[in-house]
Amino acid sequence: MDQLLSVLIPAALIVGALGAWRRVRLWRQGRPAAVNLLQGMLRMPRRYLVDLHHVVARDRYIAHTHVATAGGFVAAMALAIVVHVLGVENVVMAGLLGLAGLTMLVGTLFVARRRLEPPARLSKGAWQRLPKSLMAFSLGMLLVSLPLGGLVPEGAASVLTTLVLGVLVGWGLLELVVGMGWGGPMKHAFAGAAHLAFHRRPERFSDVSGEGRHPGSRSTALLPLDLDSEQAPGSEQSMGVARPDEFGWQQLLGFDACVQCGRCEAACPAHAAGQPLNPKKLIQDMVIGMAGGSDAHYAGTPYTGQTTGEHGGAPGERIVPQLVEPETLWSCTTCRACVEECPMMIEHVDAIVDMRRFLTLEDGATPEKGAVALDNLIATDNPGGFDNASRLDWAADLELPRIRERPEGVDVLLWLGDGAFDMRNQRTLRSLVTVMRAAGVDFAVVGEEERDSGDLARRLGDEATFQQLARQNIATLSQYRFARIVTCDPHSFHVLGREYPDFGGHYRVLHHSGLLAELIDEQRLQLAPAASGSSLTWHDPCYLGRYNGEFEAPRRVLRALGMEVREMARSGHRSRCCGGGGGAALTDVPGKQRISDMRMGDARDTGAEVVAVGCPQCTAMLEGVVEPGPQVLDLAELVARALVVSEHNSSTLREPQEEVPA
Amino acid sequence: MSSGIIVRRDPRAERIRRNRLHPRHHEFCQPAARWMGPNGVMRRNPHTVAAIGPNGLRRLDRSGATVTGGPSLRSVNDESHEQRRQVTLESPDFLVAVVPECPEGRLSSHDRDLFGLARQLADRDPASSGAVVAITFDHNAPELADAGADRWLALDDDSYAGYSPETRLTALETVARSWSPRHWLLPDGPAVGSDLGRRLAVRLAGLQPGSEEARAAARVWQVDGDHCICRGGGEHRDIHRPLPQVVLALAECAEPVSETRHEARPITLDTAPVPSIRRVTDHGRVAVDPSCIALDQAPFILAGGRGIGDWPGFHETARLLGAAEGASRVAVDDGYMPRARQVGATGTFVTAGCYIAVGISGAVQHLQGIEHCQRVVAINSDPGCDMVRRADLALIGNGDAILAAVAARLEARQHEEYRHDVA
Amino acid sequence: MTSPEVRVLVSSGRHPVSGRSGAAREDARAVEMALALAGEGVTLLHAGDPADASLRYYLGMFHEVPGLPSVGRVGRLDLLSMPAESDATSLLAEQLRHAGASLVLTGMRSEIGEGSGLLPYLLAERLGWNLVAGVAAIEHCDSESATILQALPQGQRRRLSVRLPCIATVDRAAPAPRQSAHGPARRGQIRVIEPQESAGVALDEPRGQWRFEPARVRPKRLKVVKGGSARERMRAAASTGGGGGGRVLSDLDPEAAADELIRYLESERVLQ
Repeated sequence: MDQLLSVLIPAALIVGALGAWRRVRLWRQGRPAAVNLLQGMLRMPRRYLVDLHHVVARDRYIAHTHVATAGGFVAAMALAIVVHVLGVENVVMAGLLGLAGLTMLVGTLFVARRRLEPPARLSKGAWQRLPKSLMAFSLGMLLVSLPLGGLVPEGAASVLTTLVLGVLVGWGLLELVVGMGWGGPMKHAFAGAAHLAFHRRPERFSDVSGEGRHPGSRSTALLPLDLDSEQAPGSEQSMGVARPDEFGWQQLLGFDACVQCGRCEAACPAHAAGQPLNPKKLIQDMVIGMAGGSDAHYAGTPYTGQTTGEHGGAPGERIVPQLVEPETLWSCTTCRACVEECPMMIEHVDAIVDMRRFLTLEDGATPEKGAVALDNLIATDNPGGFDNASRLDWAADLELPRIRERPEGVDVLLWLGDGAFDMRNQRTLRSLVTVMRAAGVDFAVVGEEERDSGDLARRLGDEATFQQLARQNIATLSQYRFARIVTCDPHSFHVLGREYPDFGGHYRVLHHSGLLAELIDEQRLQLAPAASGSSLTWHDPCYLGRYNGEFEAPRRVLRALGMEVREMARSGHRSRCCGGGGGAALTDVPGKQRISDMRMGDARDTGAEVVAVGCPQCTAMLEGVVEPGPQVLDLAELVARALVVSEHNSSTLREPQEEVPA
Repeated sequence: MSSGIIVRRDPRAERIRRNRLHPRHHEFCQPAARWMGPNGVMRRNPHTVAAIGPNGLRRLDRSGATVTGGPSLRSVNDESHEQRRQVTLESPDFLVAVVPECPEGRLSSHDRDLFGLARQLADRDPASSGAVVAITFDHNAPELADAGADRWLALDDDSYAGYSPETRLTALETVARSWSPRHWLLPDGPAVGSDLGRRLAVRLAGLQPGSEEARAAARVWQVDGDHCICRGGGEHRDIHRPLPQVVLALAECAEPVSETRHEARPITLDTAPVPSIRRVTDHGRVAVDPSCIALDQAPFILAGGRGIGDWPGFHETARLLGAAEGASRVAVDDGYMPRARQVGATGTFVTAGCYIAVGISGAVQHLQGIEHCQRVVAINSDPGCDMVRRADLALIGNGDAILAAVAARLEARQHEEYRHDVA
Repeated sequence: MTSPEVRVLVSSGRHPVSGRSGAAREDARAVEMALALAGEGVTLLHAGDPADASLRYYLGMFHEVPGLPSVGRVGRLDLLSMPAESDATSLLAEQLRHAGASLVLTGMRSEIGEGSGLLPYLLAERLGWNLVAGVAAIEHCDSESATILQALPQGQRRRLSVRLPCIATVDRAAPAPRQSAHGPARRGQIRVIEPQESAGVALDEPRGQWRFEPARVRPKRLKVVKGGSARERMRAAASTGGGGGGRVLSDLDPEAAADELIRYLESERVLQ
């Protein structure tokens, strides 16, 4: 037995290593990017134990199971090498090996229990085999350790039992060691570890979150596309990603790390609405594209309305439409719910935007209304094609101070966003102005010089138009002095604050919820208590919450209004998108139901009378839901309603005062 | 006030009665049926309150049954308004040639504007009188006299039928050589109607190279003396320039003739135009599926609104009628029709020759959107709604039922035709 | 079928809202029509300022659309360098004469400058080519002739066949242009052709005497009712479009109403 293992284990390790080498070569088909190998390796254990488990632990059952199984396996494997290959055979080692095997076996039993009636989000196929393989290995290791530890007499093993044990351990080694390198469910351990070590967004991990590209952020800003260097004459390199080998190698590595747990699938609003997108399937399709082949072996939920086995790809072949249909990519609302949920820290949204970039920049295949919006952005600086000079028309009677008339600078620069052209959002803006005047905030607006932030263009893949708008806005803002920017549009908030730094625009940007919370904390607003018994619920905008981690400020404001804040089933970092992000309202991929209807359903279920929002897009989407339902009101409107206009404040409210004829 | 009846004075009526030149004098000058006499006695006018009795004698009706004669119910479109002054011109000093487009064989309002402009140019100088020559490629252009043409050259040879720019151009060139009109006026518009004018402009300019006079003015929207104003490209600039020989004028370039009637005396060319080789062959109209025509161009629209309950029936009727489908905003909001089919100021402005509105009450925005429709039919259950008021024909009743009946009739008719064809 | 050589005359346009220069909408339709017809056989042609960035928009349309001919990776534009405000006719005519193209597509009118729409006609006259105006679609095109659908008002179409070479102006009813993509727009090649001495760019002299002014809003025509009383004129001016004159038929059963409608439509020759 001992001899058998001393041959089997090194053989498995060698074959596994060969497979791993092949895997590495698959990843390296992607576009090169420099990484610090040693540093990455060193950082990996901590990232695994802290950051990754932080996500995994949201599902306690599987977290514990994974600790037992994976921990047991790593320990058992290490000990088995020591005992059987290096020949350190003593009772202590044998006992430890047995303990590790037992731990793993216990974990494995829970894995198996989970797999008896697996939830729909889990992939089946080879993954159904995994608990058996795990059991074979752990049981084998446990049994092998028994004679060594003296629990069973040495000679008790007959040829038959040796054979059975050999088969068990061999099966286990084949799945767990060889499969780790050559592909199979256990591939996730190797690829996942490497992915953690060389993640494309190291800022997502607690060890480097304070440094790097976007210090202190949740690293949600899209990475800029270098439009100049990639356009070298004669270069065959196109912009964005058309083929799997055009992803960065770290991205390919990330796709390979997927465990097909389907948490993204369960979180994806487009999938829930019956649109042809399933983030899990998308990542698996990318793996298929990287390795070559068809999606016939995919054993999870397919894209709604499509059957598996009809699509396939190869590293050097076009992704769209052979591997993935364009509707799949255009269904995404870029809400990042999938990224937030992914225990392997895979970046779905980056991948989707990369592929959209190719479709828009090279293929000119943006869905019709999206293409119109892009043309409008180029011609008029706003997606609706309005005269940009009319951006302040709604505020003609408010006499908003322009920043250009305030060369000495202001505290708050109010960024209006494209909601300024929308009559519904104009009500929000009016309320915000009222509140700011009541609190005596020193503010000004950019006015006609303000252009769209470029959010829509960027999410639709038009990086060129985005960068153009970004540079122009940065040039405009550079002429003026202000302490911070406040906007009631979370998309502008995100793009100005998180994505402009890549182009040289560094600003302190606040969402209006942040400003309102600050004004309330400083007691600059006198608010009348709300009628008792009135309740509301807060819909977290994706670009405020998940993208920028601002969950608390709006809730603080709402609590200050004295209303009962009820939470929806999906709220906070798990909030469900309104369906309007990422240009999805324009690309308008048909599904079985509308995302906004589902979200309004969530709100209705709380029984709240008001659903409070903080985003023009969310307002439009949720108000578009057929009545009856809770009233949709922006945070600023709620605060403005509760405002008590005192004698002291009223003078600022009436500002500018009417001129008295001399 | 012995009688106790307060009779209010109507100063306006009195004023009109005094003023014999007032247009409504005849309505008011009829003596009122009764009035307060100067000494407070109520007087009656026997001519108005009396009626001819059965035995032929005028009787004063004291029962009060006869209605006193109020203002006469003469039509607003009094014939006297239509009376035009006849103008004849025997020996004109110069000619102004007009080539109307005559789509569908009738003068369009654009054509009439063009004649108005032509008259403006012909009658500009009292000392030298110009004649307006209409050149048509169609035998039937009956309204030319009212439109303002003194002379009419009808080129109704078969060779001018359809799209025949070469032959038409040769004919106009012959006219130019024979009669040398001082000005040529042709319509300019968005569509193909402005084609001939541009061909003529280029051809005539080629005959006198370098002459500024020969450089045609396109998209003219106002002529003032020797100058004209052209709308530049992209609609953002006006070009003020001297009036050239060939003028391609936009719609509403001048007021159409309304006060005079002209001869439209038929004339003929002395020299026949040299027949030219046709290098463009017209294969005739192509059947267009009405549902594929963009709404703003569709000639016949069946539009549905809130009053429609049976949408499949609506679609079927539209198909049988050969009409493009339109919808009110409500129908679109409720998801029965796509946004692209919404008619109105917030949707599409339509120009259909015939517009049938079923179950649409006629919001202001909707009525704005159908402003340019020539004939409107309303089918509505509410006789008081604005759409009924707007309509040329209004059928009061249930829209679904009426459409179903229309569909049944058309289907039966098609069936019959099919049988007829087979037999 | 070998794809024919097609030239598209393009010009820079002006956005109706922002006034920013960009593609002219009709020219973009002409490019779309050419690409859908001839794919790689399309070359764009422009006379004007070589620094005009808006021309890149058209080059951005050189990307593949499923089901239409392949357009190749790089779009080509020949640019006849010419000072603004000069007459492009002779330059373009010379270029077309020697280019060997048989079909030239362009928009109906330029969006900037005079916008008279005369240029295609001048070119056709000078080259002795045929011209078809208001093209909605090209159904067929070979080296000898083309079959064309011409756009008529109210969505109607007329089928024409024309012998090549031919200049065709493209109507607004033609298929909408494909999206212009950034990649092909930047990749596209602009070949600047300096005019030869002999060609002699003619400065447009008469134009010098014209006065260009911002467009005035054209007065809206009122329904002028001549004669009649003040009351009638007032009533006519205030009435909302054609109201009042209609027949209102109530108390009809659906069958009778349907008969009435069909009779009306037949009398108005809407229904045959």
